[in-house]
Amino acid sequence: MKKFWWFLFGCAALISLAVEMTQEAHHWWEKIPGFYVFFGFAGCVAIILISKALGKLLLQKKEDYYDVR
Amino acid sequence: MFGSFYLPPFVYMIAGALVLPLLPKKTRSTAFLIFPLMTLLVIWTSPFGEISSVSYAGYTLTLVSMDALSRIFGTIFALIAFIGGVYAFNVKETAQQSAALLYAGGAVGVVFAGDYFTLFIFWELMAVASAYLIWARRTKEAQQAGMRYILVHLFGGSLLLSGILLHLSSGGSLRIEQIAPNASLSSWLILLGVGLNAAIPPLHAWLSDAYPKATIAGAVFLSAFTTKTAVYVLIRLFAGWEILIFAGVIMTLYGVIYAVLANNIREILAYHIISQVGFMVTGVGIGTALALNGAVAHAFCHILYKALLFMGAGAVLQTTGISQLTNLGGFARYQKATLALYMIGAFSISGFPLFNGFISKSMIVSAAGYAHYDIIMLLLMLASVGTFLSIGLKLPYFTWFGEDRGIRPTKTPKAMLAAMGIASFFCILLGVAPSLLYAYLPYEATYSPYTIPHLLEALQIPAFTFVAFWMLRGKLAGSPTITIDTDWFYRKPAGVVRTVFVDWVSVFFDAAERKSLALAHFISELSKNPVRFFFHDDSASTLYSPGRYRQPITAIMLFVLFGFILFAVAAIFS
Repeated sequence: MKKFWWFLFGCAALISLAVEMTQEAHHWWEKIPGFYVFFGFAGCVAIILISKALGKLLLQKKEDYYDVR
Repeated sequence: MFGSFYLPPFVYMIAGALVLPLLPKKTRSTAFLIFPLMTLLVIWTSPFGEISSVSYAGYTLTLVSMDALSRIFGTIFALIAFIGGVYAFNVKETAQQSAALLYAGGAVGVVFAGDYFTLFIFWELMAVASAYLIWARRTKEAQQAGMRYILVHLFGGSLLLSGILLHLSSGGSLRIEQIAPNASLSSWLILLGVGLNAAIPPLHAWLSDAYPKATIAGAVFLSAFTTKTAVYVLIRLFAGWEILIFAGVIMTLYGVIYAVLANNIREILAYHIISQVGFMVTGVGIGTALALNGAVAHAFCHILYKALLFMGAGAVLQTTGISQLTNLGGFARYQKATLALYMIGAFSISGFPLFNGFISKSMIVSAAGYAHYDIIMLLLMLASVGTFLSIGLKLPYFTWFGEDRGIRPTKTPKAMLAAMGIASFFCILLGVAPSLLYAYLPYEATYSPYTIPHLLEALQIPAFTFVAFWMLRGKLAGSPTITIDTDWFYRKPAGVVRTVFVDWVSVFFDAAERKSLALAHFISELSKNPVRFFFHDDSASTLYSPGRYRQPITAIMLFVLFGFILFAVAAIFS
């Protein structure tokens, strides 16, 4: 069942990419085929990894951080 | 309605705050709803122009100045006060409802203020009234956060006031008018004061610090008024200031990064206020008619969906008593209605087609493109990815799905669901029929969000954000930590400051007190029997006893008497 949903998802993505081919590009990045697909995926991965790295290195502290003196 | 009978819109809210405690207890929650509706009525029956002014100390204060920009902001403030009133229907503490009305009255007062003094007074009223909504939670951390909140806002208010006074003393007008970019020190001070309320980093930490600690209903009101009145003032005064573009883009991504790290559901939402207000600030910075319309429309839509999200998170907190993601999870099937209504807010904030975020956020992003800010446009889209990731995926997944921790929520109160229903209705209505909002936007610009390229972009990006989330969701699971922010600079050194300025000072005064008491004791001992210290009489009692020292005196007296007798005898015989 789960595989079926992912299959549908893939089909929808392919259709949207096909529709995209018919559109003219308004910005330089829209000339790259499937740019937004890549952008959504890579952007999400980058945000997670960068945030987590910042959190580990610098920002995250124990919950009582401000209570102990 | 006009002429001598005209009352400014804010009067209804503030009068409501004062009248509410005098009404019978059972009618208060219903009565609350009347005041925003009356405000709405007055706003929409008022003509444009300066309607109400008074003279004070040689100045003319314009209490109400109505135009398309102030009307659209006034409308959404009154509307959200109504929805918040429905949400707070079961709140038993009238002080909270009064504070909410006072807060709304302040916000309405700011957007219709025609001069700086009127604006400043309502600005401070908002700060004070909103602080109560944090304190009313009555936990130790809410009390402390509320204190930090009010101190930071008083600081911001004093920046604003010094800017205004400097502006006046250098011959500026009291009227609120557009300020030319990089004009003078006074305009920078005003910008800092307003920017603090708009939560522009590094002046933003009051928001993410205090909002998650406010009362459940209070957070709904807080999410609506303070930052959006600041956006309104930015549009009024600082449209086209390029620095705001960069400040805005930083805000959008700053909020995104912190929301990924946050573990408290209302803190995630609070950081995404900063992120969303970043879009508006960017729009103000771009300053074209389309960008400014986008900022106004986004403020309008944002207030609706953000209140909806805070109401959903509040319902979770109300029914489970938990707000940490690491303790929540696995009760979706017990809370379907709340989850569904929350998701409407989540789709709206993520800019899905048919929801109101789509029709407003895309205006700002497109305006950036038309003004040839390509990198800015891409960064804004990246922030949208982060919005969907945190609000649309992470928060609902780890709150309602994920690991079942055996949480069985109580029933969500009907009033809460009703309020969420009203907000959802408007989110979808504006998403489906954007012209309802576009028709009332203040600037001349045409825009149609539903074009094929926009739709493709708005579907492909979140679809593959979801794919990435699904692959990395294990990494996203919260950790029981807090994330330090710029409030570190006044919270962590607080210990040191306390040691130096409180502990050391009290040590000094303690010592001084002990020494002076000892001195006083010594003097009082001394005065009890001063003679003792002249004769080194160790065996003597501390108390003066006349008899003890009588002997030598009688001897002297005898000598004196003897002398008299001697002289007398000598006088007789001479």
